[in-house]
Amino acid sequence: MDGNDVALTGVSMRFGDFTAVHPTDLTIGAGEFFSILGPSGCGKTTILRMISGFLDPSSGDIAIGGRSMAGIGPNRRPTALIFQNLALFPLMTVWENVAFGLEARGVALADRKRRADELLALVALDGQGGKKPTELSGGQRQRVAVARALAVEPAVLLLDEPLSALDLKLRQHMRAELKDIQRRTGVTFIYITHDQGEALTMSDRIAVMNAGRVEQVGTGDEIYDTPASPFVATFVGEQNMFQGRVASVSGGTAVVDTALGPLHGVARGGLAAGDQALVFVRPERVGLVEADDGEAVNRVDAEVERRDLEGSFVNLFLRAGDQRISLHLTNAGAGRDVVSGRRRVGFRPADAVVMGVGEVARE
Amino acid sequence: MLLTAAWVLGLIVVPQLRMIERAFIVDQRGDEAALVATEIERAYARVFAIDQDLLRAADGAAAPTAPSPFAPSPSSRATGAASPERTAALEAEKAEAQARIVELEAREAEIQAADRTTYALGNFTGMSRIHAWIFVSTLFYALCVTVLSFLACYPVAYAVATARRGERVALLMLGLVIPYAINELLRIFSWVMILEKQGILNGALDALGLIDMAAGEGVRFVASNGAVFVVMVYAYILFMVFPIYNTIETLDRNQIEAARDLGASAWRIHWRVVLPHAKPGIAVGAVMTFMLSAGSIAAPEIVGRGLHPDWFSQVIYRRFFESSNWNQGSAYALVLLVACVVFVLVVMKLFRVGIRDIAK
Ligand SMILES: Nc1ncnc2c1ncn2[C@@H]1O[C@H](COP(=O)(O)OP(=O)(O)OP(=O)(O)O)[C@@H](O)[C@H]1O
Ligand SMILES: [Mg+2]
Repeated sequence: MDGNDVALTGVSMRFGDFTAVHPTDLTIGAGEFFSILGPSGCGKTTILRMISGFLDPSSGDIAIGGRSMAGIGPNRRPTALIFQNLALFPLMTVWENVAFGLEARGVALADRKRRADELLALVALDGQGGKKPTELSGGQRQRVAVARALAVEPAVLLLDEPLSALDLKLRQHMRAELKDIQRRTGVTFIYITHDQGEALTMSDRIAVMNAGRVEQVGTGDEIYDTPASPFVATFVGEQNMFQGRVASVSGGTAVVDTALGPLHGVARGGLAAGDQALVFVRPERVGLVEADDGEAVNRVDAEVERRDLEGSFVNLFLRAGDQRISLHLTNAGAGRDVVSGRRRVGFRPADAVVMGVGEVARE
Repeated sequence: MLLTAAWVLGLIVVPQLRMIERAFIVDQRGDEAALVATEIERAYARVFAIDQDLLRAADGAAAPTAPSPFAPSPSSRATGAASPERTAALEAEKAEAQARIVELEAREAEIQAADRTTYALGNFTGMSRIHAWIFVSTLFYALCVTVLSFLACYPVAYAVATARRGERVALLMLGLVIPYAINELLRIFSWVMILEKQGILNGALDALGLIDMAAGEGVRFVASNGAVFVVMVYAYILFMVFPIYNTIETLDRNQIEAARDLGASAWRIHWRVVLPHAKPGIAVGAVMTFMLSAGSIAAPEIVGRGLHPDWFSQVIYRRFFESSNWNQGSAYALVLLVACVVFVLVVMKLFRVGIRDIAK
C-alpha cells in the first residue's frame, strides 16, 4: 500500500529540562509490522504520542506518506491509536464503539452499521455488536479496540502495549491474530512493547530503545545475533557476559583477556588492543564439552551449581570463580544432562560478540 | 443512633407533619382571628409607649433635662416640665387601652373556643389565579436558573477536572470555595452593589464611555429577573460544579483522546463521551440547584426588591408573616415541595437518570 510509510527525522521531545526522546531518525515502511521495544520509561509512549499528534515534537519532523504532519491535529492524521488500557467507550455498545470514527465523519447510520458488522466479522466478533464492552472478555475487548481503530481506515495503526493486560495464553493467541489482521489489511503497524518475545515473534523490524535513544533498528535476527550495544545485547534475550581487556583484534575477531583466560569473539564497533571490553555469548550457544576435545579456544572449567528443567530446555548454572555461566541445553531425554562437579564448557568464537563497555540492561 | 433518630424526628418529621396538617386546616374565621391578633399587638404597643411617656414625665418633674433625641414622637408633646393635666390624660389613655386589650383577648379566646377548624382542601383550591400563575412562573424561573447554572458550570467543572497541574486544580478550587466562606447574604448584597443603578457594573460601563452616569443614564440591572437569575446562579454554583467535577474526574482521559484520535470534533467528544459520563453528576447538580432556587427567598427579595415578577417563595413568606395566614402559607409551601419533587422525578425520567446513578 502506498502512503503508509512513516518517517521521523531528528524528532526529539523535551519536558522542561528532561529529555524524554533524544533526536531520533526512523523510517518505517508501508505495510510493515514495526515494533518499538524498550524498558519502562524509555520514551516509547512519547514517540507514539508524537506520531499520533497528541504531542508536538520539540524538534524534527514527522511525515506520513511523505506528508509532513506538523500542525495537523490527532483527529486529522491518518493514524489510529490503540491505548494501553484500550479506552473503549463503556456507555456505548460494541458496534457504536466500532462505528464511532465513522459517526465522527458523518457517515449515515445504515452504512455505519454495515461497516461495523464487517469489521466485527474481521476480528471474529460477529453478532456481539449489541453488547456493552463490559460484557466482553479481555481478548474480545482487545479485538473491539482493533476494529474501532481500523474503522477509520488508518494508514498507520499505533498500538501501545495492547496485550499487556491479558494473560499469557490469550496474549500468545492475540499475537497471532494481530499479525494476521495486519497481513490482511496491509496497514502499517507500529507496535510498542517491553516484551521482547512479543517483539521478536511479530515484527518485521524492531527498534530497541533505551533512555530516550534508539540503540538499534533491525530484524529480530539482527537484533538477537548482532546487537549493536551492550544494552541491546542484554535487553533482548539472555546473555553470558565476561569482562576483560582487548588483547588483539584481527580480521573481525577480537581476543579478550578475562579472569578465565583469553576469549575469542566477533568484534563489534571500533575496538583496539588495550580497550576495556565485554564478551557476550547466548546460553544456548554454550555447550558442555569433553575435557580432552583437543580444542583450546573459548574453553572454561566451571562448577555445576544448579539444573532447572524447563521442558524442552534444561538450564544449567555453573560458576567459575566470580563468573556465572548459564547454559540452555535441549532436553535430550533420560536426564542425560544431569551433571555435577567440575565440567568444561565451550562456545564457538562466531557465537560470541565483543563490544566496548557500556550500559547494560538490568536483570 | 438515638440522637440521630431524635434529631430527625424533632427537627424534620414533626415540624413537617405539623405543617402538612396546617396546610389542610381551613379556618373560616381566619381573617377575623388575624385581625384581632393584630389589634391586640397594637394595643400592647400603645400601652408600652404611654408607659414610656409617663416615666419621662416623672423624670422631667424631678430634674428637667433636654428632650431625648430618641424620644418617640408622641412624647414630644411632653417636653418641658410635666404638667399634672398631661399625666392625668396619659393615665386615662392607658386605662382605655388596657380595657381594650381585655376586651380583645376575650374575643380572641371566643374565636379559639369556637372550634371552627376543619380539614379540607380549601387552602389549596383557594389559591388565587395570580398566585397560581406565580407558582408556575417560579417553577419556570427555577428551571431557567438550573439551565443557566449548568451552562456556566459545565465548562468550569470540565476545565478543573481535566487541568493537568495539581496547582491549577487547587487554584480553581480556591477560587470557587473561598467565596463560599462568605455569608450568603453578603454574597447577595455584593451582587446588589455590582448591579445597582449607581453600582459597579454601570460604573464600568461609564468608564468605558458606553453610558453617562452623570447624566442619569444607567441600566437598571437589579429588580429584573435577569439579575435574580445571575445572583442565584452564582449563589448555587458550587452545588452544580462539584457533582459535575466529581464525575468528570472519574472519566478516563484516554477516552477523550481516543475520541479525538478517531476524528471527533470537540463538540462530539462532549456530546458522546463526556456528557453521558457526567450525567449522574449533572443530575445531582441540577436537582440541588432547582430545589434551592425554587425555594430561595433571599435572592428574589433582596435583588428584586419587589420590582421584578414575584417568586412563589415570596408569596409564601407573605402568607406567613404579613397576612399571618400560616395555614395557607403551609399549604403553599407544601404545594411547592410536592411540585418540585414531581418535577425533578419527571426530568430525571426524561433524561433516563436513575436514583441509583445519582447515588453512585
Ligand atoms: N507529560 C510529561 N511531562 C513530563 N515528563 C513526562 C511526560 N510524559 C512522559 N514523561 C517522561 O518521559 C519518560 C518517557 O515516558 P514514556 O511514557 O514515553 O515511557 P514509556 O517508554 O512508554 O514507558 P512505559 O513502558 O512505562 O509505558 C518518562 O521518564 C516519563 O516520566
Ligand atoms: Mg508507555
